[in-house]
Amino acid sequence: MAKAYSELEAGYEFPPGNYKLDAARVSLFLGAVGDASYPYLDNRLVPPMAVAALAMAALSNTVSLPAGAVHVSQELGFVEAVRPDENLTSYARLSRTQKRGKLHVIAIDFDVRSQAGKTVLTGKTSFILPQDEEQ
Amino acid sequence: MASQLVELQEGGRLPEITKTVIQENINRYAEASRDFNPIHIDEEFARKTQHGGTIAHGMLVLAYVSEMMTAAFGRNWLTSGKLDVRFKAAAHPGETITVSGQITKLSKSGGQTAVTCSILCRNQKNEPVITGEATLVVPEV
Repeated sequence: MAKAYSELEAGYEFPPGNYKLDAARVSLFLGAVGDASYPYLDNRLVPPMAVAALAMAALSNTVSLPAGAVHVSQELGFVEAVRPDENLTSYARLSRTQKRGKLHVIAIDFDVRSQAGKTVLTGKTSFILPQDEEQ
Repeated sequence: MASQLVELQEGGRLPEITKTVIQENINRYAEASRDFNPIHIDEEFARKTQHGGTIAHGMLVLAYVSEMMTAAFGRNWLTSGKLDVRFKAAAHPGETITVSGQITKLSKSGGQTAVTCSILCRNQKNEPVITGEATLVVPEV
């Protein structure tokens, strides 16, 4: 069963998440965001925002984000272009957990590596958790 | 593949993108990203929240920014781009989001140019939805 973020302390390392983006998922992503940019045509490359989105999804396999969580900030760094069907592994760490009055802010650092172990993407995401999460 | 499609000049504006947020695309994005938070896809749940209805994933709107940067800088964006943004407001279905950017700084060094751009996503009421900065490196030609 997935844990709640409020149970975690800064420094917690998430289990690595393995995933790949096949042509169907890339197509679904591009349709959702309405992006027809040429690097993605004919399944040549995967949009880095799709790589980032799936890295964040991998976190939810072990830790559940409450329904009312608000995404407040995002940092991303694109290092290497990714091709469809590449095996990727995401690594993530809870870098900050801070309670300010009724607010509970958390920050997660993550990076995504290729099968060869090269970093392809880095990121830092911050959320405010709803009060219900504290109860 | 073209690598850079805008003229590098401080103050230069990036090609704007305008998108209308629709629930169907939010649902598609939920499936594509595996982010099924009900605030995005469950109207009944979302109506009871502070948002009064479903909202787009922040990362969906941020993908519009990446599209603009790709249009402006091509593959250089995919291999050296960095984003640092804050989500200022939610984007609801039916809203129109305009993504704009401006080159604020150019730093040449070692045959490369570091490009810094301000980024703004605003809704049809001119309210900021995402603000922040994008940077990347382009080779000098």
